[in-house]
Amino acid sequence: MFATKRLSKELLKIKEHLPPGISIVKSDNLEEWLMDIKVLDENPLYLNETYRLKFTFSKKYPIEPPEVQFVTTPTPTSPTPASSDDNAITNPRRTIPIHPHIYSNGIICLDLLSSAGWSPVQTVESVCMSIQSMLTANSRNERPPGDKDFVSYNRRRPRDINFMYDDDNV
Amino acid sequence: MAFELKEKGNQLYKAGDYASAEEMFSQAIQKNPKEPTFFSNRAITRMKLENWAGVEQDARAAIDLYGAKNPASLKSRYYLAQALLELQRPQEAHEIATEAYQASLAAKNVQSENLSKTVLRAKQQLWAAKEAARVREMNGTLASVERLIEADLQRALDDLQGQLDRGEIGQIGFSEDQKALREDTEKTLQVLRETFAIASKGEVQERVVPDYLIDPITFEIMHDPVITPSGTSFERVAITKYVEQSKADPITRVPMTADDLRPNYALKGVCEEFLEKNGWAVDW
Repeated sequence: MFATKRLSKELLKIKEHLPPGISIVKSDNLEEWLMDIKVLDENPLYLNETYRLKFTFSKKYPIEPPEVQFVTTPTPTSPTPASSDDNAITNPRRTIPIHPHIYSNGIICLDLLSSAGWSPVQTVESVCMSIQSMLTANSRNERPPGDKDFVSYNRRRPRDINFMYDDDNV
Repeated sequence: MAFELKEKGNQLYKAGDYASAEEMFSQAIQKNPKEPTFFSNRAITRMKLENWAGVEQDARAAIDLYGAKNPASLKSRYYLAQALLELQRPQEAHEIATEAYQASLAAKNVQSENLSKTVLRAKQQLWAAKEAARVREMNGTLASVERLIEADLQRALDDLQGQLDRGEIGQIGFSEDQKALREDTEKTLQVLRETFAIASKGEVQERVVPDYLIDPITFEIMHDPVITPSGTSFERVAITKYVEQSKADPITRVPMTADDLRPNYALKGVCEEFLEKNGWAVDW
């Protein structure tokens, strides 16, 4: 399959150049990458914040979409080392941005990331940019309807969920 | 009886015991030299053992038994092209792979992707051979030094073969040493060429593949570009795989099928011309 070669080429390009507000945090294997994104305008909801995205690639990438979600750090499940000073630098605090299409567990409801909406001409870079602009354009300080139930009951992986894209205004 | 031997061979192959698997297939062939799968299975086993001359013989035998028009022969033709590449015969490899690729597309065979890659690799090797000849011509001194280094390698390889034949070293040690020798020589030659290039003040070309030659799905240079109804070109194998699954144009989302793809001959010509001058682009 294409995945390995395509990803190593994307990585090469990303290391050369990335758009403003997007940076690569971790890419030491070709299955899972971490990216940091910042909202660049003055949107008060996201001012001075950096958010972390986790990309998980299947062997079928880019024929099939990567799994993308926001993650928090330090990860609640991982034990924090005693000397948390070093840890704060390598592992700064990251939260889940507030958005009517982003659940508080980090799962993003974005057409582009569903099997039906995905296109193999998309890249890690273009996905980051789409999510960046999804935040930029948002003015509603709220979670998706049913967030609480979804977060406590959902054990499925993002790709297995059938989202309803009923609200195109956000 | 012969098929039982083949089954045993398959088991051994799966377990990674290639030498014993080869032996089983050889026995099967002795019992029934008319069965193509015995040859094709021994061919892939010999690929693992890096016995490329053996792969060539077996693959050719399998193809003859199947008949060249039979899609079942495509796998063996892929093995054959691989072996020819390893045997440094890129011209033949290119012919075999290109023909098999076309046949594989027509038969909608799963080998298309492998064959597509092999065509590219053959193009690359053809370029490398031409490039080496060109560089040597430019510089007689470099040529004689390179010949000395290669003669050295050949002596070392012959020596190694002797050790294997006399049983002083095993098959694994032989393969490893052989690989190490080749890699060392390749490195030495590369450094040597770079040194000469700098010394000869030859114009250093920047190695960039123009974006319009790159398939937007695999990010590799195209060798069989096709165009969608909305006007974007892709490598055939990649876009076919996507369209079969999504049934839509990847840019516009308009419904389409693989039958809507048309060859883009102009772009194919440009890609070919570029590869002839820049074979490195295959590994870009």
